Amino acid sequence: MMRQLRQPLAFVAGFCLVTCLISSTAVAQLVCLPAPRLLTTMPMGGQVGTSFDVTITGDHLENAEELSFSNSGITATKKLGKDGQPVPNTYVVTIAKDCPQGIHEARIMTRLGVSSTRAFNVGLFPEITRTRPNTTLENALKLDLNTLCNAVMTAQNIDFYTFEATKGQRIVVDCAAKGIDSKLNPVVIIADEQGMDLLVERRGGMLDFQVPETGKYVIKLHGLTYEGGPHHFYRLAVRSVTKDELVPRLPAIQMVSAFSWPPAGLTDQSIRPETEPNNQHAQAQKITLPCDITGNFFPAADVDTFEFTAQKGEVWWVEVASERLGRPTDPSIVVQHISGQAPDEKRTDVVELSDIASPVKISSNGYSYDGPPYNAGSSDIIGKLEIKQDGVHRLQLRDLFGGTRNDPQNIYRLIIRKAEPDFALVGWALHMNLRNGDRNALSKPVALRAGATMPIEVVVVRRDGFDGEIDLFMENLPDGVTAAGLKIPKGKTRGIMLISAEANAARGLTSAAFFGQATIDGKVVTRPCRMASMQWPVKNAWSEVPSPRLLADVPVSVSNSELAPITISPVENKVWEVTAGEKLSIPLVHARRSEFSGANITLKTFGTGFEGVPAFDAPLTADASKVDLDLAALKTQPGDYKISFYGYAVIKYQENLEAVAAAKTALMQAQQEADALAAESTKLAASAKTAPDAQRASAETAAKEAAEKVKAAQAALTTADKQLKKATATAAPKDIVDIIVSTPITIRVNPAEKAN
Amino acid sequence: MTTLKNASSSRLFVYSLLNSLVVTLGCMGVAWGAEPASPVSFVNDVVPVLTKAGCNMGVCHAKAGGGQNGFQLSLLGFETWDDYESMVKEGHGRRLFPAVPTKSLLLMKASGETPHGGGNKLPRDSEGYELIRRWIEQGATYATGQEPTLVSVQVQPERGLVNMGEELQLKAEAKYSDGSTRDVSHMALYESNIASMAEVSESGVVKVNDIPGKVAVMVRYQGKVSVFTAAVPLGAPVLTVPAEKNFVDKHVFANLKELGIPPSPVCDDATFLRRVTLDICGRFPTEKESEAFLASTDVNKRDQVVEALLRSPNYADYFASKWTPLLKNRRDAASDITANFAFHAWVRDSLLANVPYDQLVRELLGATGTVVSNPPVAWYKRVKDPKEQLEDIAQLFLGVRMQCAQCHHHPFERWSQDDYYSLAAFFSQIGRKPTGIQGEDLIFHQRGLAQAKNVKSGEMLKPMALGDEIGEISPDEDPRLRLGNWMSSKENPFFAKALVNRYWKHFLKRALIEPEDDIRDTNPPTNPELMAALEEYFISSGFDLKKLVKAITQSNTYQLSSMPNEYNLLDRQNYSRFYPRRLQAEVLLDSIDHLAGSTTRFANLPPGTRAIALPDNSYTKSSAFLKVFGRPSSASVCECERIQTSSLAQSLHLINSGEIKSKLAAGGGRAAQFARSDSTVEEKITELYLAAFSRKPQPEELKTALDYLTEPVADAKGQPAEKKKPSLKDYQDLIWALMNTKEFLFNH
Repeated sequence: MMRQLRQPLAFVAGFCLVTCLISSTAVAQLVCLPAPRLLTTMPMGGQVGTSFDVTITGDHLENAEELSFSNSGITATKKLGKDGQPVPNTYVVTIAKDCPQGIHEARIMTRLGVSSTRAFNVGLFPEITRTRPNTTLENALKLDLNTLCNAVMTAQNIDFYTFEATKGQRIVVDCAAKGIDSKLNPVVIIADEQGMDLLVERRGGMLDFQVPETGKYVIKLHGLTYEGGPHHFYRLAVRSVTKDELVPRLPAIQMVSAFSWPPAGLTDQSIRPETEPNNQHAQAQKITLPCDITGNFFPAADVDTFEFTAQKGEVWWVEVASERLGRPTDPSIVVQHISGQAPDEKRTDVVELSDIASPVKISSNGYSYDGPPYNAGSSDIIGKLEIKQDGVHRLQLRDLFGGTRNDPQNIYRLIIRKAEPDFALVGWALHMNLRNGDRNALSKPVALRAGATMPIEVVVVRRDGFDGEIDLFMENLPDGVTAAGLKIPKGKTRGIMLISAEANAARGLTSAAFFGQATIDGKVVTRPCRMASMQWPVKNAWSEVPSPRLLADVPVSVSNSELAPITISPVENKVWEVTAGEKLSIPLVHARRSEFSGANITLKTFGTGFEGVPAFDAPLTADASKVDLDLAALKTQPGDYKISFYGYAVIKYQENLEAVAAAKTALMQAQQEADALAAESTKLAASAKTAPDAQRASAETAAKEAAEKVKAAQAALTTADKQLKKATATAAPKDIVDIIVSTPITIRVNPAEKAN
Repeated sequence: MTTLKNASSSRLFVYSLLNSLVVTLGCMGVAWGAEPASPVSFVNDVVPVLTKAGCNMGVCHAKAGGGQNGFQLSLLGFETWDDYESMVKEGHGRRLFPAVPTKSLLLMKASGETPHGGGNKLPRDSEGYELIRRWIEQGATYATGQEPTLVSVQVQPERGLVNMGEELQLKAEAKYSDGSTRDVSHMALYESNIASMAEVSESGVVKVNDIPGKVAVMVRYQGKVSVFTAAVPLGAPVLTVPAEKNFVDKHVFANLKELGIPPSPVCDDATFLRRVTLDICGRFPTEKESEAFLASTDVNKRDQVVEALLRSPNYADYFASKWTPLLKNRRDAASDITANFAFHAWVRDSLLANVPYDQLVRELLGATGTVVSNPPVAWYKRVKDPKEQLEDIAQLFLGVRMQCAQCHHHPFERWSQDDYYSLAAFFSQIGRKPTGIQGEDLIFHQRGLAQAKNVKSGEMLKPMALGDEIGEISPDEDPRLRLGNWMSSKENPFFAKALVNRYWKHFLKRALIEPEDDIRDTNPPTNPELMAALEEYFISSGFDLKKLVKAITQSNTYQLSSMPNEYNLLDRQNYSRFYPRRLQAEVLLDSIDHLAGSTTRFANLPPGTRAIALPDNSYTKSSAFLKVFGRPSSASVCECERIQTSSLAQSLHLINSGEIKSKLAAGGGRAAQFARSDSTVEEKITELYLAAFSRKPQPEELKTALDYLTEPVADAKGQPAEKKKPSLKDYQDLIWALMNTKEFLFNH
């Protein structure tokens, strides 16, 4: 009977387990183990050569320590209060006189390692920080000309400022928001003294205001949808400029697509301007190839026509940058061969060029991600022009978004060159592709828990026909951290960089260097790999559009406050050799430091030559497993390979157990102190009763003071108790799904002949 | 096809032989002495009979999706070949019986000899019956080979003065390609554009009623139309008219003189200020504005106030609230908020900056990029189907309703399906790329030859603008911009007309052409000279909207009193007085807040945002007040979506709703302030009248209000005590009473 029952029971148990795993993933809104994120700084920058207080907020910033920056010209120390103790989340930041102007990045080192970064601006103007509400005309904040104000947008309100100017003066008002990582879509209005609108800007542009009468003017600022709150910060600059002065915008961070610009070694030496009028074929601007031209898509529906002569068989490469220069444009090129004379000339299409395609399929923002939520492509152009017949050719360049827009700032740069094969790389922390409708797009700092391996997805934009393989490597990593690049194969666009921290690594932070290396025309070419990250930890991309951007550098940290929940690694750190067509069995060790929901993790394989390894299950309840690789099925050719196994697991995560232990110790100490003080107090009270008259007063005073101390100790005890309860509650196990990646494994596939 | 047309099948051929035989026998047997059997043309004779009998109306055999009981005719006979096929070939030819034409199912049904849902349409003794019988008899061919084609139809007379109560017989004459003419008065169809002014019989007799003005009768014959325009005079003595301040007055007063309708005098200052502030800024004048205006002795103060109002952001807010529902700024999902706010703001900012109207339309029409960087792109988010795009653009900016022409020739107009799809071709190269926001694409010009397929003929058509050639469009050129060029050209017969007509209606309640977005030859303006002058003025001003508003509101025509004199009460279209109209939903809500001193909070918007500045329709959904008073839901390009009629629900809402009560009882409201204030009761009443009506109270009004507020109350013994001090509730009651007057609820 028991035997009969056993099988169904086992089936039910198994079914329940699977269901639990699926459902825990399905309902687990928690994705990715906690990572420190610096979300705001106030102010968001400062003037060169000044020192000022900066307050920060963020996620998981417990035990925040060093505030550091991507440029060494900016330094910070903890602000100390009057009592000599650090004021929480407040730093004194100093900007050196020679610190370059522009956007730098701030990040903070915490218990869990380095935080995500926040744009930090360095400029020349004096800056102020708004410290009082200014949401009515009556309490508008007065700004001096040529100053900059740091503030946070008040939700469902309008922030009011005033300035004074004289008739004929040219005033430029600029507001940095999206370009400094803010969630604010700013609307800036210049109004008269009564608040009646005179000039409005809603598309993120500058207001260029010719002052009609001497007097006071009002700046009204609000969100496009009147959004606001701490994450909607902005920097408002009011500048007085001369009539013909070219006024630069406030600096802005770069979008991901910008990584592929400029081509290595590009200079401005041979640059030429476009010459209007050149809209019509008859007005074509004569050029010779190669060429390097700057121009703009202005006025509306502008067409820039260039004419050149080329011979059959010539191959040219055409590159246009405009969107990658931060402009909202979509350049498009048509090259035509011209035969005959106007008005009977015949034009034959040679090539039509538009868009740099994303190197990998990006998410279509469907039910859940079906690719990374990062677009490394661009609406700019890199394309090939093959001349099919001798003679005159014309190239027409248009902005497909420019039919009705009149913005002279929509500039472009057009380069036509002989092939200069090259590549540009960008990487981001690998994003999970869950199947349960999850659309999170979290910002992920490279903050390794000791024992963890973090995968970075790297994509390449190839230039001018280069299709060779690209090796990936990193330098200047913290002690105990290593990086293994799973190269981008020939003709492919994607590789993986694995960054691993040893289980016993000490806490550390460096600004690492990240490169790709390839052999082009017999020469070894090394190019930097830019890093990208989300600006915000977006939990659902349907309710908030993720906004990825490039980072200024590559901060990498390791922390040991918590260890990785599991480390899967080969039993030996060696080169695993196998003969082509045969089988390789690799024993794996599972160093487990957490409980998991579910008994197994399904692992897939990263790494060229081995991506076809069928997914396999590895136990989460055992300390070892084994993977069998069938080289015959994989058809992997002889050579050296790096691979890794990855999968998703639901971790029963206990947050900040250190805090629980510390709170326990604190409570114990408080208890001991309270007990000691109580005993002392009792003793003194008794002494006071029996003290001689002459000493009674002083004895009673001592007893009273002791009683006060007891009271204070009891209060401290209560606080310590609350602290422990809070820490214990925080540490209660939570189901969190995250990516688990094995440490890299090196395999050498030997030719079959050699074995023979 | 050609062979089919002449002898569509062997079956027909046999019928023709039989037919000839019957005819021959008939001729031999009976010498009828009737007119010789001249060839009957299917196109020129038979189809007009069917049209006149109403067989091919939309409700009968031209009903979409199979006609009536399987017998399908084209609407009003526009597709004669299709009709021929239906009648002769379909149903195995069962509808015709050439051997005995009178036994043809077609005639049996039409004459009611066989049960027919449509009744007896062609009695046996009717001319139409005889024509069809003869056509069958002659072989029921599509073409006789000799018939000319119809070129035009002309009504006679084309215009005239018709006195009230008089009748006039219209004559319709068809002209053919061979120069021949035919009196088709008995076969043409007639339709009055204002039935209350003039009725027209089936035979073309126009009977004019007792409303003075201009009325048109459309005469339609086989796809050709002609219009008779009647001036119906009142005939009263027009001894004086106000001074002509500009061309508007010149043409309006000339028309009034022609029709003998004496205008009301120019209204007083208080009425003017309230009227023009409501019409330009969608709000009441403030008490301060009223006092200053009434006190001013400047002879140009009316012109100056118009200038000042047009400079105010309220003007932009108010007119944005007019345009954005027509441009379908609709919130279907929470994520639409950014697009909707950006689009509304674009319209509003453009109006504030007085961007020329042609440029505004061009920016919308040729929008590319993302919504945030170029907000008119949001229109393409709302209106995705190219057919809907062309229909909306045509109706909104050209005043032309093209919807009918998608499936068949426009019944009242010259627009064919080719015209429809040629217009669609302008929208054929719109490229879309997905963005991070669900349902929101970025828009670009997709390189390629612009063309659209006529779904009926299968022909690929290049872009043409309502029949106008616009030249070759290269694959690189965005055809929408070419359409924009055509629209804003000075010669365009629709673009300026549609706008001035729409704006005229905004200020004068009735458009020169009604409905304001149905401009066609068969629907002429009530004052063609004024229409032409407005068009010319608007075009020559460079499509300057503010100048147009100025021309209208600074005229004495706009400033006439709404009080009728002994003659012009019946006038509904000649502008001999100002026609009062109920305040729009948003304006009324703001005005109530203004009078009660209350505020209405709207989601996502800062405190103090007025209802006229609401960006999209989501606020209508969430506000019972706005819904009841007819704020549109941004689903249609028709202004008729805004309900301006009155209803019981509106009255009840004003009289007794919790919303109004809470406004009266607002803590910081006017009643509460009055109850706390030390100023005299007279001063408070004066303030209320200024706030509600922009004028001070008349002595009798002041006395009534004073009596009510200070009415002595009886003491314990029932004896009248001293005059009381008004309570909070008394003030609330007075505000409530003023709020419910017509003078408050109407712009007059």
